[in-house]
Amino acid sequence: MFRQLKARFGVPVAMAIVGILGVWLIAMVTLPQLQMIDYSFRPSLLPAEIGGPKDGWTLANYVTLFNNDIHLSIFFKTLWSSVFVTLLTLLVSYPLAYYLAKIATPGQAALCLLLLIVPFWINEILRTFSWFILLAFRGPLNEILLSLGLIERPIRFLNGDTGVLVGMVYAYLLFMVFPLYNAIESLDGNQIRAARDLGAGSLRTHWRIVIPHAKPGIATGCIMTFMLAAGSYAVPALLGSPGSRWFTQIIYNWFFEGGDWNQGAAYAFLLLILCIGFMALVMRLFKVGLADIAK
Amino acid sequence: MDGSVILDNVVMRFDDFTAIEPTSLEIRSGEFFSFLGPSGCGKTTLLNIISGFLSPTDGDVRIGNASMRGVPVNHRPTAMIFQNLALFPLMSVYQNIEFGLEVRGVDRATRRRKADELLELVALGGSGGKPVSALSGGQKQRVAIARALAVEPRVLLLDEPLSALDLKLRQHMRNELKAIQRKTGITFIYITHDQGEALAMSDRVAVMSAGRIQQVADPETLYHRPQTGFVATFVGENNRLAGRVIECRDGRATLDIPGLGRLSGRSGSELSPGRPAALFVRPESLSLSDAVGSAAASMLEAHIETVSFEGAWRMLEARLIATRETVRILVGQGAGDVLQPGQTARFGYDPDNAIVLADDGAPTHDAEMGETPRASSQPAQENRHVPSA
Ligand SMILES: Nc1ncnc2c1ncn2[C@@H]1O[C@H](COP(=O)(O)OP(=O)(O)OP(=O)(O)O)[C@@H](O)[C@H]1O
Ligand SMILES: [Mg+2]
Repeated sequence: MFRQLKARFGVPVAMAIVGILGVWLIAMVTLPQLQMIDYSFRPSLLPAEIGGPKDGWTLANYVTLFNNDIHLSIFFKTLWSSVFVTLLTLLVSYPLAYYLAKIATPGQAALCLLLLIVPFWINEILRTFSWFILLAFRGPLNEILLSLGLIERPIRFLNGDTGVLVGMVYAYLLFMVFPLYNAIESLDGNQIRAARDLGAGSLRTHWRIVIPHAKPGIATGCIMTFMLAAGSYAVPALLGSPGSRWFTQIIYNWFFEGGDWNQGAAYAFLLLILCIGFMALVMRLFKVGLADIAK
Repeated sequence: MDGSVILDNVVMRFDDFTAIEPTSLEIRSGEFFSFLGPSGCGKTTLLNIISGFLSPTDGDVRIGNASMRGVPVNHRPTAMIFQNLALFPLMSVYQNIEFGLEVRGVDRATRRRKADELLELVALGGSGGKPVSALSGGQKQRVAIARALAVEPRVLLLDEPLSALDLKLRQHMRNELKAIQRKTGITFIYITHDQGEALAMSDRVAVMSAGRIQQVADPETLYHRPQTGFVATFVGENNRLAGRVIECRDGRATLDIPGLGRLSGRSGSELSPGRPAALFVRPESLSLSDAVGSAAASMLEAHIETVSFEGAWRMLEARLIATRETVRILVGQGAGDVLQPGQTARFGYDPDNAIVLADDGAPTHDAEMGETPRASSQPAQENRHVPSA
């Protein structure tokens, strides 16, 4: 990279660019992360005790999680719920992406994409809050269901995981739809036609032709959605109930309510490890490499 | 196994554009049948109607005498070979060929046996385990044929399958396709815009223009007895001289052609005196005047503009002195040697080798082609069809 820059701008400018980039990477990305790792391995001490005899590296902060049944169950609940959100989002996005890529006329596709994107111009908190209103006990959704006679009394959507699931599928839909759309879009329509022509029904055509082709897109979408879901704070905070707490909320509490940054950092790294583990698993399952996903 | 295909008054409209005018046609079981026509004339549309990818606006398709109305693509006794082949790139050759059998619930061992047989048939034995991407163009072509044959279709539909191949391979695959068709006895419906291909392989050819079938006949008949000006100019090369009918008698018609006077030829369609008509003479039917007797009526004087070498033949392009129209003349080597651009020469033809067709105002091929390349601009040896008869 340096050589290309040098050829283009000369040595001083090239050095300046590389220097700025290096400083940014080290000072603003790497060092804070390292600092956090360092925090996570040290006990939480009063300022006076730092550097004193009690200071030193320890795994205690990491062990905390495994000794706290509530936190541990929330950790796993976050894992399962995020997997569930990912699958649900995939289920909703696949038909949508297929329709956009292969069935809709260009005009229809453009309109649909616009309608999908417009809500995302609004702040995530507001968007999530609008779901809070929609799903409320005396909210419009219950009103409609009641007036249609589908239910007899209003449902407490926000009293459990339903609200969180709905809110997350909605919030991360686009991160699934776009990779899927890109992948399916690049499939030659004649492949689908050939499969039909050879006698395959539409389920088999999807299973044998479209899905294998879209695999890198599915993997990308799943990884992004999972990471966003697992790391989500606003949705569970707004749409969840005390019984449906997310692991991010516990991390938040350690940092800003417990004031124990060391503990918070350890929890945050455990969540990061979870996400990386999930990513590795998906890549293994789908037999795709990092290069496929970066596309 | 009845592989006949009947089109019964099939019409296809897209919004207010009529892609297929009302068409009725019977394709016999076991026949190699081609649709030949220029780009955009509706060939693919017709094939899609037969395979079920499109349902006609009106009319019916019958395969083996069963109506196909409401029968979806995956339940029709047809198989299609796509222009781009559409092999499944993530599957091996075996998996490609076995796909249709797998769909039909055929067990593994039988599938594999069948695939091996088909690979033998298309001369690809032993390549079953290869990924599709490892094959050459011609080999892919064969896999596509094997994949389509695996489902034992009664009718095989081929949409310009050879157009992506180079010249040599194309000629080779023509023979091979014809041989496979004979061996299997399946009805082949082949579409192409290449008249050489259609004439060389087909039992019968339907020549299409602008959504309408112009003529259905065997290749010899199409070449020697075209029924419309379009067929005369699209199938093989032809020189067209337009005029008015003067008389019409004993299968012979005489035209008055402005600037050239009276010229005659066999009458090829309904003609009546006074009506516009055109005389068609093939380049190989024109010759230097001393080679023909001296029937003054069949004489044309022209200014030679180009002489192009084509092996045993020379193709002359010459401008008629009387009308400034360009004609093409194919001459043997002896005569060709003495002719040079810039010379003026007299050409004649035997009226038995020329045909007169009514000029009903329908476009001829040359007038219609616009920017698409003329058939004759392709390599001559490949394209010109000069039946030895
Ligand atoms: N889905 C469609 N909607 C509107 N018009 C169409 C549609 N499909 C085909 N056409 C039109 O119908 C006509 C015939 O098309 P078709 O594809 O059958 O031509 P073709 O003879 O196969 O040409 P080519 O040799 O270029 O493949 C064309 O003018 C085309 O624009
Ligand atoms: Mg076509």
